[in-house]
Amino acid sequence: MTPELAIEVKDLVKRFGEKTAIDRISFETKRGEVFGFLGPNGAGKTTTIKILTTLLQPTSGTANVLGYDVRTQGKMIRERIGVVQQQDSFDQGLRTEASMDIYGLVWDVPKAERRRRIAELIERFDMQDFRNTPTIDLSAGQRRRLQVAREFVHDMELLFLDEPTSGLDAIVRRKVLDFFKEKVREGLTIFFTTHILEEAEYLCDRIAVVNRGRIVQIGTPQNLKRRFGRTKAVEFRLLEGSSAELAESIGRSGLVVKLHQDQSGAYKVMTSKPEAVIPEIYRAADRLGLTVSSIYIAETTLEDAFITLVSEGVEEG
Amino acid sequence: MNAIIRLVYRNLRANLDRLSLFFELIFPLFFIFVQGYALGGIVQPFEVGGVTLSYPLFLAAGAVTLTVINSGTNAGTQLWFDRKNGMFEQILMGPFTRAQYILSIILATLVIGIAGSLLVFGIAFPVLGARATLTPSGLAVVFLALFLGTMFFGSFAIAISVALRSSETFQIVSTFAFFVFLFTSSVFYPPEFAPPAIRFVSNLNPLTYTTDLFRAGLFGSEVPLLFLGVLAAETVGMFALAVFAFRRIRV
Repeated sequence: MTPELAIEVKDLVKRFGEKTAIDRISFETKRGEVFGFLGPNGAGKTTTIKILTTLLQPTSGTANVLGYDVRTQGKMIRERIGVVQQQDSFDQGLRTEASMDIYGLVWDVPKAERRRRIAELIERFDMQDFRNTPTIDLSAGQRRRLQVAREFVHDMELLFLDEPTSGLDAIVRRKVLDFFKEKVREGLTIFFTTHILEEAEYLCDRIAVVNRGRIVQIGTPQNLKRRFGRTKAVEFRLLEGSSAELAESIGRSGLVVKLHQDQSGAYKVMTSKPEAVIPEIYRAADRLGLTVSSIYIAETTLEDAFITLVSEGVEEG
Repeated sequence: MNAIIRLVYRNLRANLDRLSLFFELIFPLFFIFVQGYALGGIVQPFEVGGVTLSYPLFLAAGAVTLTVINSGTNAGTQLWFDRKNGMFEQILMGPFTRAQYILSIILATLVIGIAGSLLVFGIAFPVLGARATLTPSGLAVVFLALFLGTMFFGSFAIAISVALRSSETFQIVSTFAFFVFLFTSSVFYPPEFAPPAIRFVSNLNPLTYTTDLFRAGLFGSEVPLLFLGVLAAETVGMFALAVFAFRRIRV
């Protein structure tokens, strides 16, 4: 394993009885990068994290984390990583600040350093209002903030984030993501799973899309969008608001993958041929005596590429 | 600071409910002062290990060891809290081994067990006007009995905590087991006066040996070395079973 790699996985397999959770996956993560691991529920994301954090032993294949073998050098790995699990994890008998302090103590962070870091984290994660609240009384979002912030009380080279922002509102989520970015600039490596694809696009340098235990594609968000964002969204509004006849007419054109109207009244047409759909919309509107007040082609999102990769079963080429 | 000490401190701070601890202490005192005095009027002083004891005093020594079994149950509760709250996996993904984690739970249990026993002892015995004839060797036997007893019941609680699927089932099963251990031991009565079937179970019961060793150390009667051997063997066996069960926990 070269020193610039943080994670190196080759032909990794994990079986639970008859069920194969991870099926011969291989990938590398460079030091100092944010590596996204995206996939639908049950794709094998959490199982992969559990193997890389040495909680589970692989069935076959090899995995090295920070130069250490997950099978035989678990403690060396665990001393150098941080993990924010998908599930809640908190000490129920403690208050917020005390639980961060005990967590730092467990990691053997000196008292003065713990105090300094905790004060900073409480401010950065907007936790002042509940710093003395028992953890058992925290809301889901507050508990999540505590769980993420707590991990930064101790030093680490590599941080595993398993859907770290679930339950957070948009403003806090952005603050948390920006904090991650700041830490990456300081040299931290992040292995990141999320269901929120905008987050992955915002944070990740490279992304592996996984489905049914296999890696479907690995690439930068831009590359994945360019290569697999085949379906585009044409969004338009009618001066008259809505028309079931118009929707039916466009739907019959054979050019549309999916059409729906959102709560604001805008129609969203998913299509691989936007240049053909736009004239069709105008023609149908004319025929029905309706007026198109605005129309545009939305930018391809990572979600479009993700849906293509997962639903069409595109394999790594 | 040593990793195990850090974990023990964390277990004591994070997983122990002060109110529960308070009631765990009240429980043996209730036996000593209510049951002890209530039955003391009808049970004549009798000889145990060459020493004549009043019933309240006999019961007091037994009730102190109740704290041992109580705090043992705490070990299972600690493990359940950690599993329920996601801290079990979190700690195992930290710079610790599974062995260090399980040992930290047992040690935290020991701290509570021994401290609780001594506290109950410190409250009950002066009130009863007892004169404990504690020699250095007697004191060593007292500590050894509390140590082995707490280790056994801590390991037992961990083993059943791992085997059972919910914290509710754990509470029910551990409460049932608690009463079986309690009423077939020498806490409330000398087993030699009991029917053969109960005497047989009592002879297998580690709480009997914990209690008898504690009484022997406390009142200066002869220490039955066989009892020490049996209790030590049962403790080692149960600890091994707990470690085996613990290794099988699915994460």
